Amino acid sequence: MGVEVMDRRANENLYLHRDFHRALNAAVRYVHEHHGEDAVRSWLRDFARAWYAPLREALMRGDLDCLRQHIERTYGIEGVAVKVRQGPDALTVEVPGCPAEAYIRACGEDVAGLFFETTRTVNEAICEGTPYRSEFRGYDPATGAATQTFRRGPP
Amino acid sequence: MISCTEFIPAYSELFRALQRLGGRKAVEEFWNCLSDRFLTNLRELVSEHGLRGCWLYWSRTLNEEAADFTMELDEEQGLFRIRMHHCPSKGRLLEADHFLPYPDYCRHCDVLYRRVLEPLGFTYDIDLSNCDRAACTLTVRGPAKPHPAEGGGNPPGDAT
Repeated sequence: MGVEVMDRRANENLYLHRDFHRALNAAVRYVHEHHGEDAVRSWLRDFARAWYAPLREALMRGDLDCLRQHIERTYGIEGVAVKVRQGPDALTVEVPGCPAEAYIRACGEDVAGLFFETTRTVNEAICEGTPYRSEFRGYDPATGAATQTFRRGPP
Repeated sequence: MISCTEFIPAYSELFRALQRLGGRKAVEEFWNCLSDRFLTNLRELVSEHGLRGCWLYWSRTLNEEAADFTMELDEEQGLFRIRMHHCPSKGRLLEADHFLPYPDYCRHCDVLYRRVLEPLGFTYDIDLSNCDRAACTLTVRGPAKPHPAEGGGNPPGDAT
């Protein structure tokens, strides 16, 4: 038998561990069951405000391109092409299906009832304190498809 | 959607949120629950393959996470070890100047895996003394498996 050794450097692989979607799904379910809906939204809001602070700063300057690039990158890395319409004051993103939800289902697990908040609440938090407001419409719980709109305007 | 490449900061912020809601106890309870519900694949692999199950489990996860590591399996000595030279998760948290990681972030790796492996009869140790540099060493020990050539290779339950 002897000793088996696996030696890897970070640049030998692509960082794409889709099981993290399952872990996020489990976390959303856990917080919902043990601490309630508001706790789920509060956690996701705090996360988004902190982690996406550089993106929020760009939005405060009116840089909608930065948000479009972020969304295209988020879905693109998982192989999903989103349909984007961008005007001077608005960005609309049509997501044909959520790759995170698709992965969770492919693993034989149910998508948590509040999993969509990982998009809706996160988008709202990214827009907080910026000239933009987000909308999350047409969510299809069977596929995760939805339309996300970011529009300059009052709350 | 939170990309799977941005899960780690969401995870870190979850620990902080749980601590606010119920103190350390709430964080520990979540880790215990996640271990029980989520690490079923590690539990199944180790139940079926023994120490090799650790090798099979972490071969996949660490490569998908693009970790910088050296992993060793010595079934004759009953030893499995991961030397994490640069943890992709903690590394990302440390690299983000604008984000404050949960102070005890790395301890989830102690709780989650220990809770799976020790009830299966293995000893589990993780050295987190260098986790502020995104480095750690995880060691799992189990019964030595004699080399077949030494006459000790009969599988369990085989009386021949």
